[in-house]
Amino acid sequence: MYIVIAGAGRLGLILAKKLREDDHQVCLIDKNESLCNKLAGELKSIMIICGDATYPDILKEAKIEKANVCVSAASHDEDNIIICYLAKELFGVQRTVARVNDPKHTPLYKYMEVDNPVDSTSIIARIVEEEASFTDVMSLLSIKKGRLSIVRVDIPENSPVANKPLKDIVLPHNSVLVSILRGPDIIIPYGSTVILPGDEVIAATLIDAEKDLLKSLIGKI
Amino acid sequence: MKYIIIIGCGKSGKELAQELSKSENVVAVDKSLRNLDTLGEDFNGKKVWADALDINTLEEAGIKEANAIFLLTGNDNLNLVVGKVAKRKYGVKKVVLQVNDAIKKKIFKEEGVVIINRTQLIVETLKKSIA
Repeated sequence: MYIVIAGAGRLGLILAKKLREDDHQVCLIDKNESLCNKLAGELKSIMIICGDATYPDILKEAKIEKANVCVSAASHDEDNIIICYLAKELFGVQRTVARVNDPKHTPLYKYMEVDNPVDSTSIIARIVEEEASFTDVMSLLSIKKGRLSIVRVDIPENSPVANKPLKDIVLPHNSVLVSILRGPDIIIPYGSTVILPGDEVIAATLIDAEKDLLKSLIGKI
Repeated sequence: MKYIIIIGCGKSGKELAQELSKSENVVAVDKSLRNLDTLGEDFNGKKVWADALDINTLEEAGIKEANAIFLLTGNDNLNLVVGKVAKRKYGVKKVVLQVNDAIKKKIFKEEGVVIINRTQLIVETLKKSIA
């Protein structure tokens, strides 16, 4: 794929390197001339363009019309919106992704038809909240911007599900037990499988059902 | 009386707000409190101290009822984004925005949106003055 990234800040840069490692063609655009010179020396296989990506001639220089995806990672939301808008309207780029700097600006991204506004602040806030509030629970993976999460739950001695077979346990809707880790064993659970205190349960859950799931597994939150 | 929103109270925004507030219902929006303060006693309207890229600000300013909106911040991209949203999402009848760049003025041309370029205006006036 050919991917154009506007903004060579921390996010833009990490992303460019990562995509390059995965063998994609990458072009990185940034306003800062000295940064561009430095990057051009360091990153031989990434095309670096110095200029303001909210101007069409700069996007043209990046051959954005050939891009499969345009990623806008600038630090001003109005710039990201304009870049994605130009990429789509003027150059026919199929997919636009942008970093949302201030969550309050997310609706404007949607009205201006940015395909995928990624609100990192809210995503991180959710992760931090999770890490901070539940010690015996760990989020292993979150999919679809955190809407689906795979969690690991340590089953305590007084858990309401301890010593019961799975078929007698009522779990909230939109959540499911994936496996049980007991010492060195990995158990794929069936209706007759019994959960023991000390087990680690791996479960998949929609974010809305997560609290209910924890309540039913641990008994408290 | 028309309901008019003015976003950006720099020099031109301020004068426009003061003038229009004599006869119309005017809301001035700026993220700088100092700019809003410069409106002074001459301004007879509502002030909103907030970020115009936040739709809560726009709705608090009454964008749903507005007959016209002026976007006069020094930030071309902000003016363009909020102007487009005012037109498309809220259907504001008259959208007038200031853009300092001639190229962007051309690209973002849209029906019902008036784009003003300060430099162009000055050049026109200067040309006329020797005609």
